[in-house]
Amino acid sequence: MSGLDKIAVRVVDGADAPTGNVRALLHEIAGLAEAWARGGETACIDLRSLPLTRGDYAELDTALGAGAVSATVEAIGASHARESQYPGVWRVTHRNEAGEVVADLIEICEVPLILRAPTEDVIEGMIRLKEALQT
Amino acid sequence: MTTLGDALHASGVSRRAFLKFCTTLTSLMALPPGMAPAVAAALAQAKRPSVIWLSFQECTGCTESLTRSSSPTLENLILDLVSLDYHHTLMAASGFAAEEARAKAMKEFDGKYLLLVDGSIPTGDGGIYGAWGGESFMDILEQGVKGAAAVVAIGSCASYGGLPKANPNPTGARSVSDLVKDKPVINVPGCPPIAVVMTGVLAHYLTFGKIPELDAQLRPRAFYGETIHDRCYRRPFYDQGKFARTFDDEGARSGWCLYELGCKGPITHNACATVKWNAGTSFPIQSGHGCLGCSEPDFWDKGSFYKALSTTEWGDAKTLGAAAAVGIAAGAAAAYFGRKRQEKIEKEG
Repeated sequence: MSGLDKIAVRVVDGADAPTGNVRALLHEIAGLAEAWARGGETACIDLRSLPLTRGDYAELDTALGAGAVSATVEAIGASHARESQYPGVWRVTHRNEAGEVVADLIEICEVPLILRAPTEDVIEGMIRLKEALQT
Repeated sequence: MTTLGDALHASGVSRRAFLKFCTTLTSLMALPPGMAPAVAAALAQAKRPSVIWLSFQECTGCTESLTRSSSPTLENLILDLVSLDYHHTLMAASGFAAEEARAKAMKEFDGKYLLLVDGSIPTGDGGIYGAWGGESFMDILEQGVKGAAAVVAIGSCASYGGLPKANPNPTGARSVSDLVKDKPVINVPGCPPIAVVMTGVLAHYLTFGKIPELDAQLRPRAFYGETIHDRCYRRPFYDQGKFARTFDDEGARSGWCLYELGCKGPITHNACATVKWNAGTSFPIQSGHGCLGCSEPDFWDKGSFYKALSTTEWGDAKTLGAAAAVGIAAGAAAAYFGRKRQEKIEKEG
């Protein structure tokens, strides 16, 4: 260690406390979920564009809870898509190879885009499978 | 000529990884997050551009910021795929061979290459304060600009003159935009700029095939559209009137707003509060120090870093008063304006 750990740090309770912004965010999610239920319009909220404290993130996690689906995509670092206790409301977190969060989203849709197989990949896979069957 | 999409696919980058990269870029560019697939489609079709990078009065911090980025695979994906035909710090060639490479690229990609410049240009006494290969920086810039499609000023020195221009500016240092009037100039200020912002500007150019929308300081609105303060995680404390008043008081330990300790976040346009530094670990305010305003013109000559904005030379009392007055509502307002801008982008497609 650099010696920094020898410096006494007092952690004050209340730092990174929730700000109340999560409630507003949940109202927005409810509105978007309603729009999706009525007209099938998908939506996406970029969490990093909002001023949220660590306390807010914890509050958001608790409020959304865990749903039926949790999936990991390995694509230059892990991407996690977790359905909340409200079906169709997803938390999608993209990390890079170093494990740092590079994008953090709430998606309102049936299935987040990152989970879908790209059409070109399906075609290429099909060709490979047919080739494999010929040998 | 191969497209970026083909090149990436050939180098083993999966389409999901590419979509993820584009989602990251979309978030960074403050575009509507739903636009990621459109960005991916456009970028996949883009051609690999030739880039010539000239370094003048600078400390190489900008190049360091870009090349020391901790996660090269994702953030430098695009940079790996531009054809960096000349960069005298990074290239293996030196001397005549290097200058030949520059001349060759300028000729071959005439009218098409992107010219990246870091560092200011000394113009005093006929430009004698900076030269390489017997040519002054002024002349080298002029030659480079002639065949460029656009010029990108990387860092605060190239964008505004930077520290070399600090009072009394002994070398007559000037910014790229002071000297280049007949080509589009994009400023990417910061001391240094955030790596992914530099990459993002290139990606934006490739995605949309034109230079991005710029603000009055010629900065891409996508990356510099909001202030540090707008996106700061300590913003709610500002709104609640909770301020640190010295560097070791209860407020400082509780992580309250650093406005009174001289934070220039409210007038500084940059992406530090969202993208952060050192592998997303932190940014100055998160480590307990106010923002210096390094992506704003003349930040070095505008009074103490540790005095509150209202007592420095950052603006008149009227402007700063208005900024403070919107205080309480602005947390929500910043998000609102962000959305408005996103809607506008969506409409203009």
